[in-house]
Amino acid sequence: MRYVGAGYGISLVVIAGYAVRVVTRARSLRRGSR
Amino acid sequence: MLRDAALVAGKDLRIEARSRVASNQVAPFAVLVLLLFAFALDPDRGVLARTAPGLFWVAVLFSGLLAVQRSFSLESADNARDGLRLSGLDPAGIFLGKAGAIVVQMLALEVILAGFVTLMYGRHLHGPAILIITCVAATAGMAASGTLYGVLAAGLRVRETLLPLLLLPVVAPVLLAATRASESALDGAGSEAWPWVRLLGVFAVIYVTFGILAFGPLLEEA
Amino acid sequence: MNATSRLLGGAALISLVTTVVLGLGLPPTVEQGQYVKFIAIHPPLAWAAYLSFGVTAVASILYLVPRTRHRRWDHIAGASAEVGVVFTALTLVTGSIWGRPTWGVWWVWDARLTLTALMLFLFLGYLALRRVAGDPDTRARRSAVAAILAVLVVPIDHFAVQWWRTLHQGQSLTMTPQKNLDGNYIAVMLLGFLAMTLVYAWLTLQRYWVEELEDEVGDQGLQNALAERRAEAGAGAGVR
Repeated sequence: MRYVGAGYGISLVVIAGYAVRVVTRARSLRRGSR
Repeated sequence: MLRDAALVAGKDLRIEARSRVASNQVAPFAVLVLLLFAFALDPDRGVLARTAPGLFWVAVLFSGLLAVQRSFSLESADNARDGLRLSGLDPAGIFLGKAGAIVVQMLALEVILAGFVTLMYGRHLHGPAILIITCVAATAGMAASGTLYGVLAAGLRVRETLLPLLLLPVVAPVLLAATRASESALDGAGSEAWPWVRLLGVFAVIYVTFGILAFGPLLEEA
Repeated sequence: MNATSRLLGGAALISLVTTVVLGLGLPPTVEQGQYVKFIAIHPPLAWAAYLSFGVTAVASILYLVPRTRHRRWDHIAGASAEVGVVFTALTLVTGSIWGRPTWGVWWVWDARLTLTALMLFLFLGYLALRRVAGDPDTRARRSAVAAILAVLVVPIDHFAVQWWRTLHQGQSLTMTPQKNLDGNYIAVMLLGFLAMTLVYAWLTLQRYWVEELEDEVGDQGLQNALAERRAEAGAGAGVR
């Protein structure tokens, strides 16, 4: 079954998604405080 | 330190004697929880009897939450907390006093609940010595950690919802150990209970020690 | 700073991708079939979760000790905790997904998984406490104490849960049967550990910067408000 794919997929998606969220927030803060 | 502890404990217990919140609200709540477990689990198939120790300790845990909340709401009115800070009492003593008052109330509650468990769940009491030691150790740990988190959350507006979230994960091993120790005692296998009782002891020692050290600074900021 | 971040990020990405590719390419085993491939991600995720927790604890202690007190430790603690929640949740999810075809159920009360679940709640409580509004230094001190209270219980949890599970099942019910695996699998798993460590470091660094920036913005906002008040007071005095 594709449990393996689900496991890998969820991990990568969540890590990437969180990374995007944090980097975006950092970027908007840097812009905003100027 | 101990004299101040006795003073504070005496004060909290006297307030309880007058307001009767623990006896009129917390105790019925605890028995109610036992009742609800009977609704949730099938009383006819022996589940209740088998899981009685666990259910007992869960009820104790939830009641403990209420007891801690109550202990700190005593000082939330009329700047009583400022009064406590300025009173010159040893903060470690205040910690031990507050925790001690909770222990007394909870032990009384546990006696009542034990009676109800025997009655309602049909699980008879064995190994009273081990049960008593378990109750004391578990309750001490719960009261100490509860008092610590109580003062941490004391001044916060979200205290009521935050305290359970903070305290329950920390008290989880107490539930685990107390249940296993109680089960061993009730099954007549008393010797198996000792590792668990030791764990409860370690937990209690750690949190009582931390409380003695940290309560003062925490109280300053509450 | 940015160069380090980019280097770290690059290393993290490369090692992560390599781990995934090698992990998916691992040959199935007799005991686990293709599900042995989880060994490249689940234990590394768990390791990163524990690492996050440890860093939060150490940073909290450093904040509380007067000699090393600095707001940056509070920021590191908070950043590490949030990243830690992500890794802890993923550990539980991958553990669950691994367990489903292996044991037939979506959850097993294996000691490690149970401990990880407890950790998740300890983290969540800590993060909830951090979100309470107030003076940043008070908030930092409160959070630091909460972190230490949480860490104190972890060794107790470890023993309690371990004894509890070995009572009934013995050590057989673990998800990572490392004894029976040969070098290839262990190597990929170790690469996974490295990858997740780098990913953790990079994520925490980014999250830490967000904390520092938000702190700055907060201070800036306060400065602006004070300046406005002063301007008003000056204008008012002029008019009168």
